[in-house]
Amino acid sequence: MPVAARGDRSPVPRSGALEDLLDRVSRGDQQAFDNLYTAVAGTVLGLVRRVVRDPAQSEEVAQEVLIEVWRSAARFDARQGSAMAWIMTLTHRRAVDRVRTAQAAAVRDHKVGLGSYTPPFDEVSEQVERRLEREQVRRCLHQLTDLQRESVTLAYYRGYTYKETADLLGTALGTVKTRLRDGLIRLRDCLGVSA
Amino acid sequence: MNTVDPHTLTGAYALGALPEHEAAQFARHLARCPACDLEVRELQETAARLALAVAEVPPAGLRARVLAALPEVRQLPPVPHRATVVPLRPRARPRLPYLAAAACLAAAVAAGGLAVRAQHEADQQRDRSTRAEQQTAALSALMAAPDATFHTTALKGGGSGTVVVSEQQGRTAFVYHGLPKLPEARVYQLWYSREGGMVPAGLVETGRAGGAMLLTGTPRGAVGVGVTAEPRGGSSRPTSPPLALVPV
Repeated sequence: MPVAARGDRSPVPRSGALEDLLDRVSRGDQQAFDNLYTAVAGTVLGLVRRVVRDPAQSEEVAQEVLIEVWRSAARFDARQGSAMAWIMTLTHRRAVDRVRTAQAAAVRDHKVGLGSYTPPFDEVSEQVERRLEREQVRRCLHQLTDLQRESVTLAYYRGYTYKETADLLGTALGTVKTRLRDGLIRLRDCLGVSA
Repeated sequence: MNTVDPHTLTGAYALGALPEHEAAQFARHLARCPACDLEVRELQETAARLALAVAEVPPAGLRARVLAALPEVRQLPPVPHRATVVPLRPRARPRLPYLAAAACLAAAVAAGGLAVRAQHEADQQRDRSTRAEQQTAALSALMAAPDATFHTTALKGGGSGTVVVSEQQGRTAFVYHGLPKLPEARVYQLWYSREGGMVPAGLVETGRAGGAMLLTGTPRGAVGVGVTAEPRGGSSRPTSPPLALVPV
């Protein structure tokens, strides 16, 4: 790994606590996993809860995710991003899988289409926003346009595909794709994640 | 998707909003588009911030269930061909070196069951969560400070603690884990070690083995942070040898 030259103003990634823990976890260190659990379990569960909603199922999915972190810790590659982003990507995917599987089962079992699956969206965005724990994220979400914010929160916190999001918002597909991107870019810049 | 500039899908992809087959297709595109790839990484870091904002307190039994499952789970080896997938371009790292650390602490606060709440046991629940949220925000800000440093140590008698200090923020946090229960009438107390003596810096909430808390007072001028076991209510100076003394 290249060492940044002195005076280089680009931020030198310091080896974060989570990355170190994950490295130790990948070598079977249960104590490290215990610490990692303390660090991420609340965020894992929180995100799953937003997407899956049902508390018992959410807990089940969170449990699966955390065990998956243990199982595949060696696949984490620090060059590809932070440990938190890796874990949250995994978390979101699992949560969405659970919801989509449940939807598919509902379609199979009861012959109901996606059209009948219309969550009360006002309640959704209100709840999401009310429950944001971090002022910074809240502030930054408010800097988005309504459509950007609704698109981003429906897709991420509720696990909708961009097509479902477009249906819910009554907006063209292409528009939602674009809003997801420019909304997230604006968030990135507001939160200071920008390159 | 063929009629659309695939680049516009970075947002949907980072948010997990593409159906499976489109996600797979876009992942292949990423392999050929370094700019898209970098953007996706940054947007995934951004999405992780959205996750942090909704952290919850996990139920007590979850940790035990997860830990109990581990011995049965076979861990994957590292990807064998990693050497061949090293990107040809300079190392691109998302610009959020502090995110993981902030996440770590913010989640630890949640995981610790809002251990940061003040000691007035009679406080109403709502006040508690409001205060806990404020503390969470302060802790996150502390972790996000570019100058935040981490000092982890084992405590004599069991458990471990990490002291996080930011001079810029003028704050110190103590993230602790596995603290053994003390005898009935004693509490864990934190101290700043300054020239001329130990200054009280707060009490760890009684009966809590893991969590995170902000220290009272600023780290300015402190050369270390100490932990002792004190009579309930705390002491104005340490009455027992330190369980840990962390240089900062």
